[in-house]
Amino acid sequence: MASNTVLCVDTGDGLTETTTRLAEEPRLDPVERTTVADATDYLESESVACVVTEYDLEDGTGMDVVRSVREAAPQTPCVLYTSTRPNEIETDAVEEVIVEYLNKDLPDAGDRLGFVVDDVIAHSAQVGFLAPDDEGSRLDALAEYDVDNLPIEDSFNRLTDLITSHFDAAVAFIGLLEKDEENFLACTGADWDSLTREETICTHSMLQEDVMTVEDIREDKRFANNDQLHDLGIVSYAGANMTTPDGQVIGQVCLIDHEPRTYDAAQQAELQDFAETAMEILELRQSLRAAETEEVAR
Amino acid sequence: MSLASDSEFHVDDLPIGPLDDGTSILLTGDDREALESVFYRLVSAEDGEHSLILSTDESGIAVQRSLGDAKRGAKDRSSVLTCTGSSAGNNVTAVDDAGDLTTLGMELSMLVSGPEVAEGRMRSGIFLTSTLCGEADDTRSVYRFLNSNFLTELRRNEAIGVAAIDTSADVGGDANSIVTGMETSFTGRIHVESSGPGSATLEISGLGDDRTVDVAL
Repeated sequence: MASNTVLCVDTGDGLTETTTRLAEEPRLDPVERTTVADATDYLESESVACVVTEYDLEDGTGMDVVRSVREAAPQTPCVLYTSTRPNEIETDAVEEVIVEYLNKDLPDAGDRLGFVVDDVIAHSAQVGFLAPDDEGSRLDALAEYDVDNLPIEDSFNRLTDLITSHFDAAVAFIGLLEKDEENFLACTGADWDSLTREETICTHSMLQEDVMTVEDIREDKRFANNDQLHDLGIVSYAGANMTTPDGQVIGQVCLIDHEPRTYDAAQQAELQDFAETAMEILELRQSLRAAETEEVAR
Repeated sequence: MSLASDSEFHVDDLPIGPLDDGTSILLTGDDREALESVFYRLVSAEDGEHSLILSTDESGIAVQRSLGDAKRGAKDRSSVLTCTGSSAGNNVTAVDDAGDLTTLGMELSMLVSGPEVAEGRMRSGIFLTSTLCGEADDTRSVYRFLNSNFLTELRRNEAIGVAAIDTSADVGGDANSIVTGMETSFTGRIHVESSGPGSATLEISGLGDDRTVDVAL
């Protein structure tokens, strides 16, 4: 069974009690740090599944730790485990830093801690995007496609070349939306490999039935404060769903431009056609591979 | 008398439900009064249940009055977190700023861990989620808040939840796109259209058979 590293930040007896509690859970592997600085250093070099922190720390507060988490790995869940009550916690500088709050003075706080940490890890409970209600089925549908072993790269690269040229766009890409990130299978006009789900526009676009367009991401608060998008030079966006025969959206075919841009109904319909073509290529390659595997097995 | 079984939640005066434990509803509309009327009918607690309401725009006392109007005694079976007015007694907690999602989230966690909620069945509601979107600098924070403090609690507790959106409000982006995106994360959606004084049309989807019904408010 894979264990999940949980960074515990506290001082003195509190730290020992917290890590002892978490160590009782078979899937959790607690790691101890006692200061904001040490916790921040750890987060910069190591990957953790969850952070549990006290509020009052020697060199700052638990909210400083949470802020470091959101900068290093924004999707990582954080639990503020403290006796300090919410109305005593200073939030002026962190008004939009979401944590799970668990008061240490609750009679069953220790028992709850293990459950809460397990739960927030298992359910990605603090991600900054909304997943479809049937996300589990969608991921199962995606897993049916053995993308790593399908010879689709050349076909998809040709397709994104064609899309870029057709729309005179700066970038075109084909991406698959995994549980935590979007993986780009082909990308013309940029060298992108993957992005975490909450940093992508596609994670919003996949929830729309029709092609989603964003004329200027600076005018939409879903994207305006997303530094990663700005660093990539993204200003406008259009995305169309890649939908399996069973109706699950597994990926997107997208256009990016470095300036504000709109797409009329005809252009949106054309982009949807390209997305359906990408899906057909994926389906055909998958069917071919399945047939070959069956042939070998005979 | 409730017609709901132990795992279901009954809704009085609306042709909806009973609703299964874990059901989340996105409630939308541009008529504030009609939206409010339907919201309180959905979240007012029966005996053995507790309402946990986050109100962005109304005082705790006003929220409790609305709960009581929707169902006799529901006021006394509620905890309210409000961004308007002041704290009152054990059941109304006030937070200064609807944009302070950090404090709102922590206070909600605190209320959920209270004995009224932890030991019983819960009806959770946010009125208005559109205000949270409008106040937040980054909509991702609202999504993180909904995941952490709303949808998670529905999963962990025996509960249903209703998040209301005033579609005429400024939500910081393309309202239609934002609502469509949110809708897919919820079990179902009820869209409220006022059809005249004291009446409305409800478009119900994802909660059994999709249908459109006229109701008196």
